Amino acid sequence: MKVTLISIPVRDQEKALRFYTEKLGFIKKKDLPLGGGNRWLTLVSPEWQDGPELVLEPAPNHFEPSKVYQDALMEAGYPYTQFDSENVEADYKRLKELGVEFSMKPTEMGTVKVAVFNDTCGNNIQIVETL
Amino acid sequence: MTHYEKKLHRMRRDVYSNEGQINTAIGIRNYIENNYEINLNLDLLSCVQCVSKYHMLRLFKKYYGQTPRQYLMDKRIEKSKDHLINGLSVTATCFAVGFESLGSFSSLFKTKTGKSPSVFQKEQLSRRKIK
Repeated sequence: MKVTLISIPVRDQEKALRFYTEKLGFIKKKDLPLGGGNRWLTLVSPEWQDGPELVLEPAPNHFEPSKVYQDALMEAGYPYTQFDSENVEADYKRLKELGVEFSMKPTEMGTVKVAVFNDTCGNNIQIVETL
Repeated sequence: MTHYEKKLHRMRRDVYSNEGQINTAIGIRNYIENNYEINLNLDLLSCVQCVSKYHMLRLFKKYYGQTPRQYLMDKRIEKSKDHLINGLSVTATCFAVGFESLGSFSSLFKTKTGKSPSVFQKEQLSRRKIK
């Protein structure tokens, strides 16, 4: 068995696609219809296109507990997903300039530096740099 | 401050309060990052930070979750991919990232990536041609 997917729940797949490609720089890999206006929509990192795929899935629209959980995480500021960054400070500046909102500025935590932003689709996302 | 941020601050106090230890661990990692291609061993790494071998091993594992050797092997395999993608031969790549035998490089590469170095290189080069 192999680990190849990371799932991110989103309320609006089209909006999420724009945010994750235009702001974060991911590349669309798969996009196919699943009926009822839902899509199997996956993205990869530009520098690691063989790597794991992000699935932007509309779970909160179809399964109430998913929505409740997502809302609770958002309110408490918890990131459920994190991405590696070569330079958290540089990514923070770049994303701020693109209008991305951060709930936590770059913060050192022992051997890592982390920051948390809002993906505008219902999630807090953490970026982490290993020091 | 979000609930998450409060938790992080508590974690920093509980886990990351010993700055001396953290700096030693970060120093070892930096040394591996910059010298992965030479013949690194525990004696050398403990010399770099002027600590005993076993203390160094314990600190690294405590703050990075891997032994220095596991970390070094991952680093070498990651770097070897760059060399192979850039067209360096398998043998030259093997020595460029610090392995001393082609056999141990090839078998580790296959364990870590699922492919032999030569198959990996062929795939990458043919993919570049398609682009």
